[in-house]
Amino acid sequence: MRAVLKYTALTLFAIPWVLVPVWLVVVNSFKPAGEAAELGLGLPRTWAIAENYGIVLDRGGYLTGLLNSLKVTVPIVVAVVFLGAAAAWAFGRSRSRWLQAAYFVMGLSILLPPSIIPTVYLLRALSLDGGSLGYVLTMTGCRLGIVIFLATGFVRAFPRDLEDAAAIDGASRPQVFVRILLPLLRPVLFVGGVILIINVWNDFFFALFLLQGSANATLPLSLFQFASGTLQSLNWNLVFAHVLLTTLPLVAVYVIAQKRVLAGLTEGALKG
Amino acid sequence: MRNRAAWLPWALPAIVLVTVFFVAPFLLNVRFAFSSWTSFRSEITWNGLENVRTLIDQDLLANAVTVTVLYAILCMAIQNTVSLSLALALQRTSGINTVFRSAFFLPTLISPLAAGYIWRGLLAPDGAVNSFLGIEWAWLGEPSTALVVVAFIDAWKWSGLITLVYIAGLNSIPKSLLESATVDGAGPWTRFRRVLFPMLAPALTFNVAVTLVGALSAYDVIAATTGGGPGDHTRALNVVMRQQWGQGFFGSASALGFTVTLLVIATAVPLVWWLRRREVTG
Repeated sequence: MRAVLKYTALTLFAIPWVLVPVWLVVVNSFKPAGEAAELGLGLPRTWAIAENYGIVLDRGGYLTGLLNSLKVTVPIVVAVVFLGAAAAWAFGRSRSRWLQAAYFVMGLSILLPPSIIPTVYLLRALSLDGGSLGYVLTMTGCRLGIVIFLATGFVRAFPRDLEDAAAIDGASRPQVFVRILLPLLRPVLFVGGVILIINVWNDFFFALFLLQGSANATLPLSLFQFASGTLQSLNWNLVFAHVLLTTLPLVAVYVIAQKRVLAGLTEGALKG
Repeated sequence: MRNRAAWLPWALPAIVLVTVFFVAPFLLNVRFAFSSWTSFRSEITWNGLENVRTLIDQDLLANAVTVTVLYAILCMAIQNTVSLSLALALQRTSGINTVFRSAFFLPTLISPLAAGYIWRGLLAPDGAVNSFLGIEWAWLGEPSTALVVVAFIDAWKWSGLITLVYIAGLNSIPKSLLESATVDGAGPWTRFRRVLFPMLAPALTFNVAVTLVGALSAYDVIAATTGGGPGDHTRALNVVMRQQWGQGFFGSASALGFTVTLLVIATAVPLVWWLRRREVTG
């Protein structure tokens, strides 16, 4: 009885919290402009799927945005995960004061907000401003901290016997790293990687300052430019079509990896 | 494997990247915040508190700080209330709970910008929320509700992730503790207050800190919904920073960014200190 009550309440909560927002986006992205302007939840009286999505693909810069988003997200995630794991190994095992001081700085970089305006200045001085390389390097530098922090806790919790045994058996350091450390760190790197992908894919603030021109625009930037393109009122049908297409890649990845994502996030990788 | 120098190459790439792209801008910001630097005069010269004074004279700073702090508190309160409630309801890992967890995680995948557009549509004067309630109210256009609504949208976007952190926290509490409390005759409320809540302290502090600190840097949702309006009721620090930057006042923009940093330090230091103390005593 109590369970019935609980799940009824949860369902009643999930309807406005999840279902209605998703439905609003989907159904209105199928309507012609005038009908979508009513922002109703009913089915379209006239269907305009092909027109709307055609416009978003054509004029909304969606495909360029998708490519650009992939072009920055993949290198950032790969760099943060692997460089972070390597650094976490050093921070977890070395007793050097210098490295411990560096580890403290990494911790600070999680807490303190990145300083975006001096970053623009710095990238300009390095002739890296406006393009995706500067963006990738900046995001990597600003996001390494969290992965290093989580993974170092993990490294410290493990005895070093396995690594020592492998070294005695003649394994080189890179071999120990690949064969022992990476598998050991897999749960925490997976969780860190998932949060990172969501974070980078959806980043708007950094992109707004660091990426110039529509040729470099990632999906959130292209959504913003597209939505701000019409001055007075939004073309809701097109905005929602863009929102749907922008979110879809992430949702698709999530659906595939769903079980592992939820299990990873709830069963303790964050406990360290 | 025990000599000192041998570890350095492993940490070096990360140290270099963090130093160049996080620490260096951070230090430069301290200088730029107190420097004259505009698009009209590219030379950067020390000018003390001139940027701060200009921002105060234009009535920008005090309002932006107030809006930002209120926004962060609202965000933190909404997010943690919703997430903790959901976590308590969905703590046990079962088939049906996994379905619900999965559903409530969905908003986390949506970009804050897109979340802003979605709720702007739902909360439009003639939108779905108003027609359900049978009223006509410009939620984002009225000074009394705009800030709360924008904070709600931010909280909505992140609640799925925070719920999972709470579930992890709840699952780390030994079952025997709750069972013995039940045997001793503790009701659900007493169990929550005396056992669950204190044991949940690390997860709670972590989430409160993360949500507060995150919300102090608010920008995306505001850009997609109100743009800072009505008037200046949702004009948070980063919104003013972007405006100053756009107008070519780079020094003032740096000063605003530095203000966010100071707010984060003022929030995070006591919280971390409190967390450490709890860990020692409890």
